[in-house]
Amino acid sequence: MFEALAAFLTVIVITPFMIRFGRRFGIVGVDVHKSSKPIIPKTGGLGLIFGSLIGLLTQMIFNWELSPLIFLSPGLIAGLIGFLEDLKGELNPKLKPILLLLASIPILVTGYYTPRPVIPFIGRTRLYKIYPILVALAYPITCNAVNSVDVLNGSMIYTSIPFFAMSLIIAYIRGDGFILTMSIICLSILVALIPYNRYPARIFLGNSGSLFIGGLMASIAIIGKIEVAAIIALLPQIMNEMHVIFSIGGIRSAKEVKSRPVEFVNGFLTASRDRGAPITLVRLLSAGAKVDERTMAYMMGMLAMFTAILAIFTDLFLVEVWI
Amino acid sequence: MKLLKNFAAVLGLLAIVWVTFLLVSYILASTLFPAIEQASQNILASIMRVIVGLATFMIWILIWYTLTKIWLYKVLLKE
Repeated sequence: MFEALAAFLTVIVITPFMIRFGRRFGIVGVDVHKSSKPIIPKTGGLGLIFGSLIGLLTQMIFNWELSPLIFLSPGLIAGLIGFLEDLKGELNPKLKPILLLLASIPILVTGYYTPRPVIPFIGRTRLYKIYPILVALAYPITCNAVNSVDVLNGSMIYTSIPFFAMSLIIAYIRGDGFILTMSIICLSILVALIPYNRYPARIFLGNSGSLFIGGLMASIAIIGKIEVAAIIALLPQIMNEMHVIFSIGGIRSAKEVKSRPVEFVNGFLTASRDRGAPITLVRLLSAGAKVDERTMAYMMGMLAMFTAILAIFTDLFLVEVWI
Repeated sequence: MKLLKNFAAVLGLLAIVWVTFLLVSYILASTLFPAIEQASQNILASIMRVIVGLATFMIWILIWYTLTKIWLYKVLLKE
């Protein structure tokens, strides 16, 4: 618990400095869902990274083990790619998933995975050939899926908290102390950033934040051996990313798409009726309705909570029986 | 009120996707994965397993996307 407290306090203390850092070095973005279109620093992800570093270093010092570093490394690689994007502007959308494959290297090189996932109704499988490929693919898919829901103030945090709550509960049931600690650290850094990122946001998480959190989620799924539960918990994020790709006809930059999924009218979000507009979770939820940004972010969090509960049920009744 | 209806509709969609995911993971684990992992004497059976596995996965993705489009345009936007 001390590790989580250290991570939580680090994020609380360091985020105001990150706000100043972002403004000073021009790492900023426009908050498009506000009438005044304020300029907001997008360095919140750096606060998350520092917080988790402190938490995991504390864990390493107390327990004299390297596993927290292996757990964190993929997230750090993904976060670094995200930070480059925040700094230099959008990367080539086809190059980004390829770069994110690099995040899987620490897990693949150290062999810190068990290629025997439990599949519901089948039991424990032996995937010695396919599993390393799935590990490599897990990082770009998860990171981009998490990145795709970072569209409203607080939305990424609200949709990520249920995932780590799910991994925490499963780790507690299994008695897996390491994943339990990692989940608590991840939860604590996200909760610590809520006061800064909730509506109206004072800081954005940026690509560094969303890709970092995506990297940590993939690591928890692989190291914690909760692959099936993780996929189910991430269904809203995966659905959002997949439908955007399908509806715009491939992996393309959002700037190339003329039609926006939602319109912003008099302070409310409403779904576009244009058939060429990308299909997103926000568009589905705001179809024929006028929704304020704060409520929409909460609704997205509730969807993630629903799939996290489905993930826990699946794990309890269809996976744990084989373990 | 409309927002709550939309929310319930998306929950329903996610529940369908969850059930179909369990089904698809079962099919993949009984066709594609063993065909790749285990060397089989019967090459034709292995090829068939790979085809069935990949086709199931692709059809599932396609159904998921089509269902979401129907959900958005016919149910939520009522076009």
